[in-house]
Amino acid sequence: MSALIDDYLAGLRRRLPAPIAEEAAAGLLETYEHHLASNVGDWEAAHAALAEFGDLAMVASEFTRQAPGRRAARLLLATGPVVGACWAAALAGGRAWTWPAPATARLAFGAVLLLAVLTLLAAATSQHSYQRTRLAMLASPVILSLDVTAIAAALLIAPVLTWTLGTAVAVSVGRIAFTAWTLPRLAAR
Amino acid sequence: MRADAQVLKGHLDTLLLASLENGPRHGYAVKEALRVGSDARFDLPTGTIYPALRRLEAAGLVKGTWAEAGGRRRRTYELTPAGRRRLASDRTAWRDFASAVTAILEPAR
Repeated sequence: MSALIDDYLAGLRRRLPAPIAEEAAAGLLETYEHHLASNVGDWEAAHAALAEFGDLAMVASEFTRQAPGRRAARLLLATGPVVGACWAAALAGGRAWTWPAPATARLAFGAVLLLAVLTLLAAATSQHSYQRTRLAMLASPVILSLDVTAIAAALLIAPVLTWTLGTAVAVSVGRIAFTAWTLPRLAAR
Repeated sequence: MRADAQVLKGHLDTLLLASLENGPRHGYAVKEALRVGSDARFDLPTGTIYPALRRLEAAGLVKGTWAEAGGRRRRTYELTPAGRRRLASDRTAWRDFASAVTAILEPAR
């Protein structure tokens, strides 16, 4: 096989997870064989195949843009403000600053949330690095845990269950269900 | 002439599904079906077909399977029942859209 093809395949394996690199590699070899079958030399066939297949950076970027981690991170970030607004309304309406929750716990919750959002942002904005989209796998369980913590804390501490608090809990339950459904799919790809 | 890549992107999923309508194909055959079927207007880099097929597979519209042939592993793609339903609904939507645009661009005299 041409060294040109070998170099390209090595580049694919460096930039993409193994199952994806193998799928792209099978496609490149198919293209290469197609050109070899038209009775051109090995070098010409390799050149034609690479030109037809597309630049390595462009192909890797295309896989990155379609990465499930990137899409899940974008969805979580897009719905985040809605969930946040529901909780803000519930907490403000229930005068949450008077609830008996330690300041350190509130601060820790905020810091972990900020870190998770920044991690999701890194995954959602990745253009060229497939590896970076996998950060969604780290951030998603954290978001899930924060939702569970928020629900448990509100139900245990809130003196009365208002309809705004009920709405916030319902929205968080929806996000927990989505994240739990997404996680195994992220791990598999 | 190559079609505007941005315009094509909006319809790529439907075109890929349509290229698999008559049976399973390898990625290269899918690309060739688009090129030949469009009289070379849709001549995409082969490498961009695979991420799109992978996305359709993740959405449950296409199923990819590995098979050994000629001493090499090849991946074959085929429509799932959900893919067939999506293709049928995309086709209806396209016909409605195209006939509306034609009615405006080429009004009956």
